[in-house]
Amino acid sequence: MTGKICIIGAGPSGCFLAQALLKSAPGLEVDVIDALPVPFGLVRYGVAADHQGTKAIARQFARIFERQGARFLGNICVGRDITLTQLQAAYDVVVLAAGLSGDRRLGISGDTLSGVYGAGSLTRALNEHPDAPPLPVLGPRPLIIGNGNVALDILRLLAKTQAELEGSDLGPGPSQWLAQNRIDHLTIVGRAAPERAKFDTVMLKELAKLSDVTIQMNDIAPSATDADGEKLLQSLTGLDGKSDGPRQLIFRFGLTPLALTGDTHVRAAHFSNAAQQQVDIPCSSVITAIGFEAQNDWLPRDALIQSAADLSSGRLGPRLYAAGWFRRGPRGTIPEHRTDAQILARTILADLDPDAGRAGRRALGQIKQVTDFDGWLRIDAAETQSPPTGRCRSKISSRLRMVQIAQQEGTRQ
Amino acid sequence: MKITILYGTETGNAEMLAEDIQAEFEAAHDVNCQNLSETSPDDLAPDRFYLLVCSTYGDGDLPASAQPFGAALTKAQPDLSQVHFAIFGLGDSEYDETFNHGPQKLATLMTACGAIQLGPRIAHDASGADLAEDLAMPWASAVIALAQTALGIPA
Ligand SMILES: Cc1cc2nc3c(=O)[nH]c(=O)nc-3n(C[C@H](O)[C@H](O)[C@H](O)COP(=O)(O)OP(=O)(O)OC[C@H]3O[C@@H](n4cnc5c(N)ncnc54)[C@H](O)[C@@H]3O)c2cc1C
Ligand SMILES: Cc1cc2nc3c(=O)[nH]c(=O)nc-3n(C[C@H](O)[C@H](O)[C@H](O)COP(=O)(O)O)c2cc1C
Repeated sequence: MTGKICIIGAGPSGCFLAQALLKSAPGLEVDVIDALPVPFGLVRYGVAADHQGTKAIARQFARIFERQGARFLGNICVGRDITLTQLQAAYDVVVLAAGLSGDRRLGISGDTLSGVYGAGSLTRALNEHPDAPPLPVLGPRPLIIGNGNVALDILRLLAKTQAELEGSDLGPGPSQWLAQNRIDHLTIVGRAAPERAKFDTVMLKELAKLSDVTIQMNDIAPSATDADGEKLLQSLTGLDGKSDGPRQLIFRFGLTPLALTGDTHVRAAHFSNAAQQQVDIPCSSVITAIGFEAQNDWLPRDALIQSAADLSSGRLGPRLYAAGWFRRGPRGTIPEHRTDAQILARTILADLDPDAGRAGRRALGQIKQVTDFDGWLRIDAAETQSPPTGRCRSKISSRLRMVQIAQQEGTRQ
Repeated sequence: MKITILYGTETGNAEMLAEDIQAEFEAAHDVNCQNLSETSPDDLAPDRFYLLVCSTYGDGDLPASAQPFGAALTKAQPDLSQVHFAIFGLGDSEYDETFNHGPQKLATLMTACGAIQLGPRIAHDASGADLAEDLAMPWASAVIALAQTALGIPA
């Protein structure tokens, strides 16, 4: 089968889709475009620096470009450098796999005070994303709002000692930032009851290994729940009272955020508990980890989703599809995108009606400074050649520098 | 020799490795490659050698694509005493308490049904420096040599 397919976004959902398409139909031309000069989306810029095993999925994704024949076209921001309409004219099929990178706001009074940071921005900064804001000063008592795995990643990284970061790819800037944070109380608050928190019990287990912390669980009461809830409660209570170091990790549950207060900088967070009583927690900063939404940037995501022909199958309209977080919202781990991608690939191949007259990637010819997969391999080699002691990679964080290295011909090792 | 590579995977690493092993050995042998999700224990034949490649998920569990096969072994307890296999595991030492428990469980289920395991169970570590194929190719060569003897096939 032939046909020209353009996937917007080289994160897990875009990569798994390219893989599934080319596996069924090796004759397709599959181009994967990303706004960044480098591929892999949140595998590089979301997954925690101390979870290198999870990031290793990139080795599998590399094969899609090295052996299956997909093309990576980096440093092209759709909506800015080329429009979606232009791409739709040039390709038989366009798939939006652009993720969701905006932090959902609390939507309560005080959530724009200084000292309030979104988990997405913070994890991008920790992962040295080229567009991330500088790492903020958190002060001695940060408060994390949210009870999912992203909240746990942040909690764990903030609690780790330098020795516990060995083998990661945490950069010198973020490493120094972590070392200089003088956190004594780190509180994590969830709206749901503990048995309904969205924590993965395997990730909770990792907290049991931290050397520098004392853990305190609050608001846990025995309650009727299902087997998963039971397992979660057991993991949580198992951590309660762990006492190995001076840094206090305090878990609170069942608290609905009411307001953040402070003069200009946040000083306290106010909640309502299950008994409708107000609970006040003083803090030096707030990190919100309550999910992601479309950033008001280059793609009209919400409008496209609202007018979708059949969102559950990924069909947005004629020859236009959505995948990954862009389609399903900010839920789902990397493995789930593989299953989704296999289903979507079948849908796309069943609908495909190629028109040999379409220009395909020739339509991208005018765009300057595009990077390709060989360029990424040059960046990867530069980053892994001589990492600092205790690190497996030293990321290049400047977009300009990435593009320069990507475009140096003949230096690939 | 007739070889079937059976993979159990969640995110595709085991599948990719299985295909690499197939590509490496198909010139010299009759090799096919199949997902455990599409395999029933009753399909296993005495005149073939089975290379199992399996990862680990959840809390030391079998990956999704190997679960039905694992369940079938547990439930039906088929007689596999004529079946020869070797197993290569994928895991991640970040999960230290359950490192490579998936393939370990699969090997135990196979041998409990009488299947004959050849060679050591190798454990790849996603957090380690080795590429899976660098460990798997020497392992596959070695166990294929063992199988030729065990199945009485001249080299
Ligand atoms: C902090 C964090 C940690 C996580 N940790 C884990 C984990 O440990 N394990 C796990 O299984 N899951 C984890 N997840 C979830 C996982 O990252 C997501 O399920 C997955 O990355 C979503 O894939 P995606 O391809 O839809 O989106 P993304 O990975 O976000 O990829 C989208 C890509 O599209 C590109 N893009 C966006 N807009 C444009 C545009 N206009 N033009 C061109 N390109 C564009 C982006 O640059 C990006 O590369 C984590 C998520 C976060 C936020
Ligand atoms: C959610 C999750 C849970 C995991 N659990 C384990 C585990 O308990 N033990 C282990 O050794 N590896 C574990 N792993 C690591 C995987 O086995 C490893 O990444 C492997 O390469 C995946 O291969 P696959 O893509 O074929 O499934 C886990 C990975 C994830 C994402």
